[in-house]
Amino acid sequence: MKPAIFLGLVALPFTICAQPPQTIDVRKLSAQSKLIDQVVVPVPSEIFAVLDKLGKPNWTAVLHKTPSVAQAPAEQPRIALMLGSVIAEGFIAVEAEDVNEVKQIGKSVLNLTKALGVQKKAQMRAKAITDAAEAKDWAGVRKQLDKALDDVSDQMVELNSEELSQLVSLGGWLRGTEALTAVVEKQYSKDGAELLHQPLLLDYFEKRLANMKPKLKLNPLIIKVQKGVLEIRPLMGLPEGSAISEKSVKEIGAISAALVKAINSKSEN
Amino acid sequence: MKRRIPLLLALLCLALGASPARATIDDALSFALEAADPYVKEGFTVREDYWGGDLAAKQTKAIVHQLFKGNEYWFWMGTDVKNAKISVHIYDSEGKLAEVEAWQKPHFAAARIQPKKTGSYYLIVEIEKSPSERTSWSLAYGFR
Repeated sequence: MKPAIFLGLVALPFTICAQPPQTIDVRKLSAQSKLIDQVVVPVPSEIFAVLDKLGKPNWTAVLHKTPSVAQAPAEQPRIALMLGSVIAEGFIAVEAEDVNEVKQIGKSVLNLTKALGVQKKAQMRAKAITDAAEAKDWAGVRKQLDKALDDVSDQMVELNSEELSQLVSLGGWLRGTEALTAVVEKQYSKDGAELLHQPLLLDYFEKRLANMKPKLKLNPLIIKVQKGVLEIRPLMGLPEGSAISEKSVKEIGAISAALVKAINSKSEN
Repeated sequence: MKRRIPLLLALLCLALGASPARATIDDALSFALEAADPYVKEGFTVREDYWGGDLAAKQTKAIVHQLFKGNEYWFWMGTDVKNAKISVHIYDSEGKLAEVEAWQKPHFAAARIQPKKTGSYYLIVEIEKSPSERTSWSLAYGFR
């Protein structure tokens, strides 16, 4: 940071922008503005921040309590998907304010990152998660879980494992989607269901899965996940303004639940 | 291009004399993060992911991004080029201006939105004027 510039920013009044165009032709954007083909996947806390404002769902009912600390399976793609799913579970455990589960998830994150060779920062992060959970600093736990995702992603990129990093994101997104549908289904409202309107993210994951290295693409679990994402796409990618029906919420929930179960199962698919 | 580089690493690269192109984008990011700083105190969480690149004057870039109704977002743009005028604006999926407010200052621009719908939005960044042939820029965002 540059303190001098920062002080200047505070001292000077902001200039309101000259009036920008009220409308743009989005169909011509790629030609005129060179559309950036990179998608930033929302961190789980971005979605949980909305859920906080929707009321007080019964998160304990949504939480998948883990009987023991997660042990890493043999295949790297499965570990990556599982890690994403476990981190997402951590967010649900925070919502349920379940200290023991959060601590267990911290240990699971450590095991899985170790198996992926990206445990460098995970040890420190797992301790921070545990400390914050013991202090019931739930906002702190969320922050540490977000950072755990960032750490893993950074280290995977450093190790040229960008595809595994995308699988971590996808695993987290699938478990988050499953949890979201469970909450929305419990007390259906158009506003709640609208949170599932994520065509951009589905397109992104679909594209990433389609462009994976042949070795990964032939992995049975990846094939299953890819099929599931394609099934979810029409349900979540409705045109802007269309409501996602209660029936669609149920279908999305069932597909994502089956995928999360497959990701976390010990047997090979 | 979307990038993910921790600020400390970016500053370290600068200190160690990393390539000029890399350094200017990282510099642009530190300006964007400076613009974000006051809002962090208001409860905004700043994402580590950001977009960046370089553009000629009068050129724009469009970024499609998922936003959630119920959250409030700030997008902060920065450039290291002195006397450059930059802007960022937010449009909904139909191309209607959707931001609640936007501001510009030397080195900085920002826009705030409280999405009326959950879905895809277009972030349009522009180098309105610049003394340089190419102007590096970075765009960060935060939510609460």
